[in-house]
Amino acid sequence: MSINRKIAPEFHLIESLHFPDYEILQTKNGFKLYSLRAGSQPVIRLDFIFDAGLIRQLKIAESAFAASMLSEGTKNRSALNLAESLDYYGSYFQTRSNPDDAVATLYCLEKHLENCLPLFLEAITESVFPERELDIQKKNSIQKLLVNEKKNSYLCRKHYYKNLFGDKHPYASFSGKEDLEKTNRDSLVSFHQNHYKNGLKYLMLSGNYSEEALRQIDILVSNIDFIGPSGKKNHAEIVSQTGKFFIEKNDSVQSAIRIGKLSIGRTHEDFRRLQFLNLIFGGYFGSRLMKNIREDKGLTYGIYSVLEPYKEAATWYIDSDINTKNRESGLAEIYKEMAVIRDQEIPKTELETARNYYLGSFLRSLDGPFSLADRLKIMIDYQLPNSYYPDFVSVLYNTSASDLQELANKYLGEENIVELVVGKK
Amino acid sequence: MIQYQKFKLDNGLTVIHHFDDATQLCALNILYKVGSRNEDPHKTGFAHLFEHLMFGGSENVKEFDTELQAAGGESNAFTSNDITNYYVTLPANNIETGFWLDSDRMLSLDFNQKSLDVQKNVVIEEFKERYLNQPYGDIWLKILPLAYKIHPYNWSTIGKEISHIENADLDQVKAFFNNYYSPDNAILVVAGNISFEETMRLCKKWFEPIPNRNAIINVYKQEPVQKEARKEHVYNDVPLDLIVMAYHMGGRQDSDYYNCDLLSDILGAGKSARFFNKLVKEKRLFSELDTYITGDADPGLFLIEGKLMKGVSFETAEAAILEELEFIKNNPVNLNEFTKVQNKTETNVLFGDMSVLNRAMKLAFAEFLGDITLVDNEIDHYLSVTPESLMKVAKSMFQEQNCSTLYYHAKI
Repeated sequence: MSINRKIAPEFHLIESLHFPDYEILQTKNGFKLYSLRAGSQPVIRLDFIFDAGLIRQLKIAESAFAASMLSEGTKNRSALNLAESLDYYGSYFQTRSNPDDAVATLYCLEKHLENCLPLFLEAITESVFPERELDIQKKNSIQKLLVNEKKNSYLCRKHYYKNLFGDKHPYASFSGKEDLEKTNRDSLVSFHQNHYKNGLKYLMLSGNYSEEALRQIDILVSNIDFIGPSGKKNHAEIVSQTGKFFIEKNDSVQSAIRIGKLSIGRTHEDFRRLQFLNLIFGGYFGSRLMKNIREDKGLTYGIYSVLEPYKEAATWYIDSDINTKNRESGLAEIYKEMAVIRDQEIPKTELETARNYYLGSFLRSLDGPFSLADRLKIMIDYQLPNSYYPDFVSVLYNTSASDLQELANKYLGEENIVELVVGKK
Repeated sequence: MIQYQKFKLDNGLTVIHHFDDATQLCALNILYKVGSRNEDPHKTGFAHLFEHLMFGGSENVKEFDTELQAAGGESNAFTSNDITNYYVTLPANNIETGFWLDSDRMLSLDFNQKSLDVQKNVVIEEFKERYLNQPYGDIWLKILPLAYKIHPYNWSTIGKEISHIENADLDQVKAFFNNYYSPDNAILVVAGNISFEETMRLCKKWFEPIPNRNAIINVYKQEPVQKEARKEHVYNDVPLDLIVMAYHMGGRQDSDYYNCDLLSDILGAGKSARFFNKLVKEKRLFSELDTYITGDADPGLFLIEGKLMKGVSFETAEAAILEELEFIKNNPVNLNEFTKVQNKTETNVLFGDMSVLNRAMKLAFAEFLGDITLVDNEIDHYLSVTPESLMKVAKSMFQEQNCSTLYYHAKI
């Protein structure tokens, strides 16, 4: 059988996306427990979402230390005892502080849940922030900071956010050595009281589990007197300093580059279509930035653009590391691509390829329990309807080249740009 | 249990089918049995550079990624010391696009100078971004030549030096392709929501017509047993002193492998690990101290890597590590600690099996190692480890003359 390899096999368009059913249960003490069952391995992920993000901190480094210190000991258990006990059941305990919230996560096999859950809950509610453990974490963080400050990409990121949101804005909170040194136990204890014990937003369980798992969670969580968030906000004003900034690092063989501006948030009516435009511009391997600056000119190993929404603000930016010798031509190409996407309609095949790829990527991200849980969290946090992801299909099919050009002129203009370059003069 | 069926096409291509109807996706994973260990010592970094060229168009397809993206698919690849692995995922009903694209680039690449020139630049930027423009980025470039004197694990997959990448030419590209990318040197895994019959039909249609080019695998020498402690001092513009200790261990199929993996967990994985509690927290000698194993097919390395606290000397830091190693050599691991690492392994295996693409890669790699049953019975190998076997392996591995140590000094 001889085949004509010049002709591509026929393919089908993605016509629908499905977000699986999930349950919204209520614990006896009044907190929402989202339950999303998917997958076939007997694994569990349990997330506790707290109103304890950067946006809530009064001092730099507070939110991050409060999160990382949760596992460092309670009244009855030392850090080592907690770690040994949780590790004994093969589980993983993770905490992270985000710009808008903080999340404590337990990963384990269902058969170990009854042993792990009490330990996990003890860690996150009865943490005593031992002075000695804090001192260790502070010193280790300072060592890490010293290494980060040698990285162009870190300096570039830090100064980009500081210029974009303003030095005082919580989204631009990068701890310096003094901030780390100044952190003290009392402020963490009070942060924990105000934003963890009195700041539980909701719980989310995902994976493949039985009713018994939900029952156990309800019983144990209901025994704890959590209180929901107060809703009180810190006043955080955005003070942008736009323009072009250069930080000299004379030993570098490459320059870190970030160019961007303030943008629109997730609930804005243009948001999904702007995500699509961003994809075409710099959001995937087939994007214009990648095709031109990497695949045609070989100036970089990677270049991409990102639309990054937070609760109180959003940014759109381009990020890359470019060969020092070709830096100026690389920058010129970036601005040229921005101008082209504003000035000319995107050709039909380019738009269709990107659309099909984007829908395929949703299919991939709606596959598997943990990735679904990440999407569900976005839906909860931004109060989006269950149809939010399935509706991408109609949103994308109904976005024309002229719509995209209009968006490019609205959101990808050169006005109010923050450009950061870190590298050799 | 990961269910699979295996067959071979007339041209020597091995095919493995794994069915999963819980997903709407299908994955194609092709493993070519060539990595940096097959390179000429004067032309290193080539297997990895070649991986980039595989996306530069083939005989009948101008742009691999564009065609794939148009059908809703995504692709990527990686190169290791032993293999080069390519994968695509697509909506299951569009999987034929993947067969078309991957078979065409196995049939013949579009060998063109422009693609080679551009990808040489891209890889050189990758070299700079990951190995030169990062504090401590060149550790790997230093420790491998210290530990391996004969075996091609002597160099890293990115290559020994940038000039090797600069010097690559089209003749080298063609010869490499014709030999190592022959169907009989590859393993294709088709995994996801696709039947066995459909897999067989598409394999016969797209892959079987590709002629077998009869790959010849070069022979290289195995590393002789190290007989003397090796030490090297490096001075660089970094903020902290760093130590790396590399001990030779067994290959991926050596029974010691599982012992080494668990030893590495006991010493260095997570907050209950010995190094973290004794040397980071109690003695305050390091701010970070990790252990890992390379997992290569041929005998690999057990590595210990730590950043020293400011003011701590290399002598003190190294002595403390050695004291812990002496302890594990002479005292059996207690039952709690032992059960812990066994339980962790079970969790890791189950979490690792969640995605269909991971399962596809695991099948391909096990087949490459020559024992596909590993996908299911690997856990038994871990369970057959005992506190006594751990002690025995630790005793024979953690010997001064088996160690290469890199002292990475912060320039003052």
